Amino acid sequence: MSDAEPLAVQVRLPLDRFELAVDFATTHRVTGIFGTSGSGKTTLLETVAGLRRGARGSVRFGGETWLDTDARMRVPPERRGIGYVPQDSLLFPHLDVAGNLKAGRGRAVAGGHDFDAAVQNVVRVLDLAPLLARSVRTLSGGERQRVALGRALCSGPRLLLLDEPMASLDAALRRRVLPFLGRVQAEFALPILLVSHDPVEVQALCDDLIVLRDGRVAARGEPRAVLRRPDVFPMAEHEGYQNLLPAVVVETRAETSRVRLGDGTRGPALTVPRSALPVGGRLMVGIPADEVMLALEPPAGISARNAVPARVESVAAAGAFHLVTARIAPGAPPLVAEVTADALVDLGIGEGTDLYLLLKTSAITLYEDAAADPQPASAASEDGAAPAASAG
Amino acid sequence: MSHAAWQALWSSVAWAGLAMLLVMAPATLAAYVLARREFVGKRAVATLISLPLVLPPTAVGYLLLRLFAVDGLLGRDALGVDLDVILTWKAVVIACAVMATPLVVRTARVSFEGVDPRYEDIARTLGHGRAATFVRFTLPLAARGLAAALILGFTRALGEFGATIILAGNIPGRTQTLATAIFSAQQAGRDREADVLLLVALAAGFAAVFATETLSHRQADAATARR
Repeated sequence: MSDAEPLAVQVRLPLDRFELAVDFATTHRVTGIFGTSGSGKTTLLETVAGLRRGARGSVRFGGETWLDTDARMRVPPERRGIGYVPQDSLLFPHLDVAGNLKAGRGRAVAGGHDFDAAVQNVVRVLDLAPLLARSVRTLSGGERQRVALGRALCSGPRLLLLDEPMASLDAALRRRVLPFLGRVQAEFALPILLVSHDPVEVQALCDDLIVLRDGRVAARGEPRAVLRRPDVFPMAEHEGYQNLLPAVVVETRAETSRVRLGDGTRGPALTVPRSALPVGGRLMVGIPADEVMLALEPPAGISARNAVPARVESVAAAGAFHLVTARIAPGAPPLVAEVTADALVDLGIGEGTDLYLLLKTSAITLYEDAAADPQPASAASEDGAAPAASAG
Repeated sequence: MSHAAWQALWSSVAWAGLAMLLVMAPATLAAYVLARREFVGKRAVATLISLPLVLPPTAVGYLLLRLFAVDGLLGRDALGVDLDVILTWKAVVIACAVMATPLVVRTARVSFEGVDPRYEDIARTLGHGRAATFVRFTLPLAARGLAAALILGFTRALGEFGATIILAGNIPGRTQTLATAIFSAQQAGRDREADVLLLVALAAGFAAVFATETLSHRQADAATARR
């Protein structure tokens, strides 16, 4: 998706170990900044927000200049019209959830927004109604991040800045919060700059991905294609890379579900862990690259439930392993498997080889929004630690 | 207990209250600047503010006496008007204010330092300017510590002796305070009166410190629950 208000960033800022020096412009809806911790991501986001001093260069958004050190110009953060969500949520402890959501009321009203309608909409999208009267001290990690998102959205921002919105959450909680980020992306026509070290998050949300390494742009492009690059993949793998493929539920059984990859009509079907969605529900399946086995023949007598025919698109060395990129369905993105050089030689795998991808059901992770379409159900508690969340 | 002793007690409360009215706003601002900003001479400023804490109170009283004397920096010759401070209730208030300031600033500074500045960053991104952020977010987040600062300062003012007796004297019915009344009663051998005043002082001091202890515990609980 394109044609959001343009954001142009050209800054230099000396940090402890290196100099942050980035120059990019984007009109994409969701632009991701991907990198390991300490690569300068958060500093970059704070510079765009106006919270970090000392940067030289310029930051422009829409028709406005927020920073131009040559012209000695620096717009303070309160006049940039941004929504900022830090990784540790930083909810105001002296206000309850409703009070936090209303913390940016003044600006929203001054900007001509119907504040009450905006709050109602945010509460609906982020499923915050059960939390409104709660003290922020009693919220779980995932709930806190949803409230922090809501607080930023209610303030009527023109640009949303997300700093590792799921970094402080464990894996199970991330799976539950990710759909809410997806809803924000889908329901608010806001450009988003997302900083993340989570390969799943950036694949699920971003239209454009900038890889930051030691303060410099190391790669940029369509997120899946960028993460598959041999110079980027080892970093993504280190951060928990998963192939993230869209799929549609076609059958639900006692312990597993069947999903069809792609738009649900043509792609191959997979047996996956049981989905909470009804038949027809859309979700994402996550498949770690190191959990994919390759076979030249359709295997017999194995426990892996999925043997998916695929054609190799490319083979490339990446760190200690080789990456085999294979396409399994015309509509779906290709899938990456990590194999050793020996296996490549023994099996004679190269570009154009037809083979089978063997996938254990238990190695597959589902990313699904149980409360979203096609049948908006009353949302379940987002995590077991706070059962009261769904009681309201 | 004599009428003058009662009057000394209630006057003390009123004067200590007035002193805190005078001190709280500037001391809070000074504490915030010391907690958040780096500037040349910061340590010198912090030291200067804390000086009344370590000087003999009589020295501070004498310094104030020199300041407000006819030929002092704040005296009639310099200002062109006579503020009529020395040996009046105004002298009590000023002596109490000066002696309470270091306690208020230090306590308030610690409570501001306990407020994560990133809350202020978030408030800024939500459209609040510096002043609005301070009033609507920083002050409420530091409220317990500021309340403790107020209570500590008030009781310090209530018990002020050395500076008061030099600048304001010890005139029954005019400038006598709880502290100077105890001194007078003891000196004159009115032990019963001194005993009663002692009990009053004990009760006020205990209540104040107990309240600040409670406040600081709550703040500690809140700080651990936040993360």
